[in-house]
Amino acid sequence: MKCESCNEREATIHISKGNGFEKTEKFLCEQCANASFENDFSYPDDTFNIQKLLKSLSEHPSLQQTQRRPKQCGTCGSTINTIVQMGKFGCPDCYATFGSQAADIISRVQAHQSEHAGKMPVKSRAHLKTRKKLEQLRGRLEKLVETQEFEEAAVVRDEIRALEQAGDSDGI
Amino acid sequence: MKSERWNRQVIVMEYSHISPWMQDVEELPVEMSTRVRLARNVSHLPFPYMMKDDGGLEPVLAKLEAVLDGYRRVEMNGLQFEDKALLVEKHLVSPLFTKRGLLSYISEDESVSIMVNEEDHLRIQTMGVGIPMIDLYRKADAIDDMLESEVDYAFDEKYGYLTACPTNVGTGLRASVMLHLPALTFGSRIQTLAANLSRFGFTLRGIYGEGSVPLGHIYQLSNQLTLGQTEEEIINNLDELKERIVEEEMEMRSWLESEHLLEVKDSVYRSYGLLKHAYRMPLKEAAKCLSDLKLGTDLKLIEHEDFQFQKWIQLIQPAFIKMRLNEKDKEITSLEHAVEEERAALMRQLLGGE
Repeated sequence: MKCESCNEREATIHISKGNGFEKTEKFLCEQCANASFENDFSYPDDTFNIQKLLKSLSEHPSLQQTQRRPKQCGTCGSTINTIVQMGKFGCPDCYATFGSQAADIISRVQAHQSEHAGKMPVKSRAHLKTRKKLEQLRGRLEKLVETQEFEEAAVVRDEIRALEQAGDSDGI
Repeated sequence: MKSERWNRQVIVMEYSHISPWMQDVEELPVEMSTRVRLARNVSHLPFPYMMKDDGGLEPVLAKLEAVLDGYRRVEMNGLQFEDKALLVEKHLVSPLFTKRGLLSYISEDESVSIMVNEEDHLRIQTMGVGIPMIDLYRKADAIDDMLESEVDYAFDEKYGYLTACPTNVGTGLRASVMLHLPALTFGSRIQTLAANLSRFGFTLRGIYGEGSVPLGHIYQLSNQLTLGQTEEEIINNLDELKERIVEEEMEMRSWLESEHLLEVKDSVYRSYGLLKHAYRMPLKEAAKCLSDLKLGTDLKLIEHEDFQFQKWIQLIQPAFIKMRLNEKDKEITSLEHAVEEERAALMRQLLGGE
């Protein structure tokens, strides 16, 4: 028997679709059968496309896990539920762990404010200063390389290295 | 051993006196004491409510004690209920702290207290009367810098100082001033005022903070928001608002004087009579009477030398009265009655009654 779709190759696969009232049958070759699986193996009025769903799940195995187990803070074990219930974060690390959810909560209780404008600890001040300086130096290095001023570029490169090393010992 | 000795010292020193910083202050008509507190946390440690025992804070405390020269260490679990209540009445610790707090460091003149494991790991608090709020903040700020040299604070570039409750995140700053507002209360303006304030991120509450009832027409004005503004901005805004409220209260007082003089005089002298001659005084009544007397002296309707509203309001609090009872060592059948009798006796004595 020839394939009903291409009428060229030998039909090797028998596909039967139906819901008990209606039934359609097709005899296809392997190639055409595969195409038919990919394109159309659902009823036109089927809103719950199990194929798509399974496909998306197999593509995102992590999604399956997150749906089963809510995200937990690695330092204190809080979940977003316990935080909302208590109205408090469990530890300082929760702020980073629950990124956008934490941002939502903060924005809600702080009248849509989201950026600290006040004091910084002395240690952070030094840290931020170093980071800013590094950014500047890296930008300068790029320009110097572009204009092929290699002698000066080497000086800047050494300056960057020195700052990075000092930063490492400070835990930056 | 160390803490026991310290605690005993606290008991001896604190039982006989009002905090030194509050002694001999000059009283203003409306504005009373001011407080500033900073909430700080140690990085990567669970917040106090998630901690078992001291949860690894001991090494941090050892470092802090190295810089906290002249501070007394007061451990909560070494204290009796009355001792704790006394600390609350002096505003040295919060009511929440007496239930769950670990210990506090209190400066010699009791104008600074650092609570360990209140809602946050550290809460630095400075208090004063007649001192500009910004100066109180600078004092807390300097202590903060000193502590930070020993401890790694939980700080985030975006959110600032990280705190257990998101209502404190950012600056961790809560500044508050106590205001005596009898005229605004009498004119029922206080509710509208409170509602309007909250729209601008400020709140009016009772004298012992969240959830406490206003006593003797005394309210605490404080900032609600801690993020998005610098410490100076928060304090300047609060200062400005305070001035406006003081102005409104003074306006209402003039209105009272011109429109309701007899009524005011009547309540001032009634209260004076009660304070001078009553033999039993519940706290609320005593506070209300003292408030009337304060209004009376401010409006110059009555004169009384040595009248110190702020100090006396503290002296009538339950733990202060119980302390006086303990000193007298007399037999008590009903504590409630004994306290009310002692309070009345104290008032008679202070006002020169019988």
